[in-house]
Amino acid sequence: MATFQPKQPDTGPHPRREPRYDRPLTLENLEAVFQGCADFMKRQVYLHGDRERVVTVCYLLGMTRNERLSDYILRPLAQDEALSRVPMDEVFKRLRYGALYNLAAQVRDTLDQVADDLVAGSCVLFFPGKSQVLTFPVVTEEKRGVSEPSNEPALKGVRESFVESIRTNTSMVRRHLKATQLKMEEQIVGRQSRTQVDVIYLDGIADPDTVEQVKRRLRDIDIDGVEAAGNIEEYLTDHLNTPFPMMPYTQRPDRFCQGLLEGRVGVMADGLPFAWLLPGTIDQFFKTGQDRAFHWMTASALNLIRWFCALVTVLVPGLYIALVTFHPEAIPVKLALSIAAAKQEVPFSTVFEVLIMLLAFEVLQEAGLRLPSPIGATVSILGGLVVGNAAVEAHIVSPAVLIAVAIAGVAGYTMPSQDFAAALRLWRFLLAIAASVGGLFGLAAGCAALIYHLAGLETFGVPYLAPFTNGAGQPRGHPSLLRLPLPRMKWRDGAKNTKNRRNQR
Amino acid sequence: MRVTITALVLVGTMLLSGCSATLLPYAREMGDMALLRTMGVDAGEGDYQVEVTVSTGKRAYGLQGESQPSLVLSAQRESLSAACLAMQGLSDSYVFYGYVDQLLLGEELTQRSVWPVLDYFAQDAQLGLGVQLWAVRGSTASQAVQAGGESGVESRLSTLQTDSEMGAAGASRTAGEVFSDLLERGSAYLPALRVQETEQEGQTALLEAGYAVLKDGVLAGYLEGESAKGLELLVNQAPSDVLEVPLPQGRVVVRVTSSALVCIPRLENGQLTAVDLNCRVTAEVAEVEGELTQEDLEQVKQAVDDRQQRRLTQALERLQSWGADCVGLGQRLAMADPAQGEKLLEQWPEVFSSLPVQASVETSLTRLLFLESS
Repeated sequence: MATFQPKQPDTGPHPRREPRYDRPLTLENLEAVFQGCADFMKRQVYLHGDRERVVTVCYLLGMTRNERLSDYILRPLAQDEALSRVPMDEVFKRLRYGALYNLAAQVRDTLDQVADDLVAGSCVLFFPGKSQVLTFPVVTEEKRGVSEPSNEPALKGVRESFVESIRTNTSMVRRHLKATQLKMEEQIVGRQSRTQVDVIYLDGIADPDTVEQVKRRLRDIDIDGVEAAGNIEEYLTDHLNTPFPMMPYTQRPDRFCQGLLEGRVGVMADGLPFAWLLPGTIDQFFKTGQDRAFHWMTASALNLIRWFCALVTVLVPGLYIALVTFHPEAIPVKLALSIAAAKQEVPFSTVFEVLIMLLAFEVLQEAGLRLPSPIGATVSILGGLVVGNAAVEAHIVSPAVLIAVAIAGVAGYTMPSQDFAAALRLWRFLLAIAASVGGLFGLAAGCAALIYHLAGLETFGVPYLAPFTNGAGQPRGHPSLLRLPLPRMKWRDGAKNTKNRRNQR
Repeated sequence: MRVTITALVLVGTMLLSGCSATLLPYAREMGDMALLRTMGVDAGEGDYQVEVTVSTGKRAYGLQGESQPSLVLSAQRESLSAACLAMQGLSDSYVFYGYVDQLLLGEELTQRSVWPVLDYFAQDAQLGLGVQLWAVRGSTASQAVQAGGESGVESRLSTLQTDSEMGAAGASRTAGEVFSDLLERGSAYLPALRVQETEQEGQTALLEAGYAVLKDGVLAGYLEGESAKGLELLVNQAPSDVLEVPLPQGRVVVRVTSSALVCIPRLENGQLTAVDLNCRVTAEVAEVEGELTQEDLEQVKQAVDDRQQRRLTQALERLQSWGADCVGLGQRLAMADPAQGEKLLEQWPEVFSSLPVQASVETSLTRLLFLESS
């Protein structure tokens, strides 16, 4: 990738300082840490009005819930008579063990811990002359409410989707999987964002090696912040030089839990309203949350249609170029005659027509996505219908090309994963170019290159094409193209070393 | 990444070097092509001359499919390849032979030999042995190709083929079938057409004219009328046929729906002495004047039996006289008696012409709605 980047002076690895703040834990040092932060608040409180007994409460405005802070922290401090009668050392213990009505109380003795707690929504109690402080989580619960999954709509399934708050998301998972074997191990990723990232798995079912690998790779991530999915995906994946997504994700808790039950390892980051399931194999990108809700025959047929559509979207433009330009004898006679008739008035070559229409299709799609939805719809109609029709009537493109490109485009929309659909779109261009160079020979060579590329991909030791290979070293739990009746799906579909493979009697 | 970029650069360099022209297929735009549908081959004026006539069939132009007259090209050269190549210079479009699926052979050519034409079709990359084959009786293939006028002859030939597949017309044959019959049996049959003037002045049409029988690649003769029907019975491809049987109270019309022929060899001391042909015909009573009695029915059956038997006998006599077993009787006999099969096939070419053949027909009538209830 260095080919496309300006050369930077090599100043060595970015230092990740541990601890970040190596000064002693004092109020002054904490104030110095948060100097210039308008939301940093500090308040001195007399314990039961005793001016000799002062504690200092610090918090970040907006990160804490005001009512909780006032009612359960400040009010007891100001009104509890017992706090004014006992020695100051005893006050610390009483506050830690229940004088304040909060679910948790942590004793902290480093500046790092206190800074992290403050940012996470805790308030801090400083005691004069004491090197330890107490922190109480009074985090605000202001966040987006749980809504329907917009990217994975449910016709016959739960209507909740993950939100930006990781704890809300983990609670949804916990409500689905009440087993104590459900483990959630938290790591902090991002030097500046300090994002909570959870590794979620079912102990005794998930592959311990995969769990360990995921945790190790998360630990190794040394970046400024986790603001986008790529901040996790591109650091966890083995392959960056592929357009194909390596980490399937879902917005739906039920689908996420199903993945965990199959022995996969989940990853969830605070601030991102979805979760990943690892390791990712190609069949994961063809599954929907509805597969287990529909009748098995319907689900199998729809799954086969999605695979067929993947072939259609990636092959049709190239196939059209190859057949019309290089191998017209392979086209049925009547179709060939109508293509030839429509092509006679078009000034451009078929290759140019197809490539320019593919490009126009992408431009229209991108324009529709970037604009607000009412204008986006207008752009789609204007571009797709008006311009398309006008282009055909003006003999700029032939209708057959328009149909071929439209079929390829619409077939791509059947992909449940937009990431996978985007990869197919990219390869559609490559295969069209290969077909324009060598006809069916070029197309076949392009397909061989695609298969070679896919066969070389691996996630966490599992081949990307695991549904069609035995490279994972484990037999598949059930076919990937068909969804068998659930009573017959007795084996977990985990790709590698899934423990306890049998999932039902 | 470097390896990928290097590989891409190398591939690009190879393609730009011009080597790709010999390695990769050649690109052509369909809009610039004349898509030929029908080819007629005639014997030329000299001994080695052939005349090739090709037609595109009805053509459409533009989005609305405005009709254009069919393009007919003709060239006479010393070989088929040369004649086909010469067509390129006669048209302003690239002449594309990949869609030729109708081949007409002129009578003079069939009298000379059809081998060179079938060989050419077998070996050419664009053509192939899947084309439908007809012999033109009494005239040239060029005349037959031009018989379609502006709309071309393609639609007429397509109709004949479709009718044949649906059982409404005689048997159709592909060049591959004829070629393999000639190679395996030494003889083959193919449908024949006749160019006939229509009532409109200057207009001609193609009509069915029985079957041409080839022996060793050369025309042996034609089977027409009853003998052509007999050949269809022999090859189990009898199309729907209507027979009228006169009875005292009026005529009865019988529609033949299917037939099946069984060959049984008669052997004495390992020598083939005669052949029995048992033909089972299924027919339905289509029209009756009055009501049919059981006796009438027997009469009808007998009449149909006699008629079909005559057809079989006539066809066989003609084929035996030419020594052309184009219907594959020898192979069917060998299959009927596998133990003696090889021996039978060895004797077959010598004995076929003189072998006594006993044909018998058994008709079963269906759809007897007109039968008197008594």
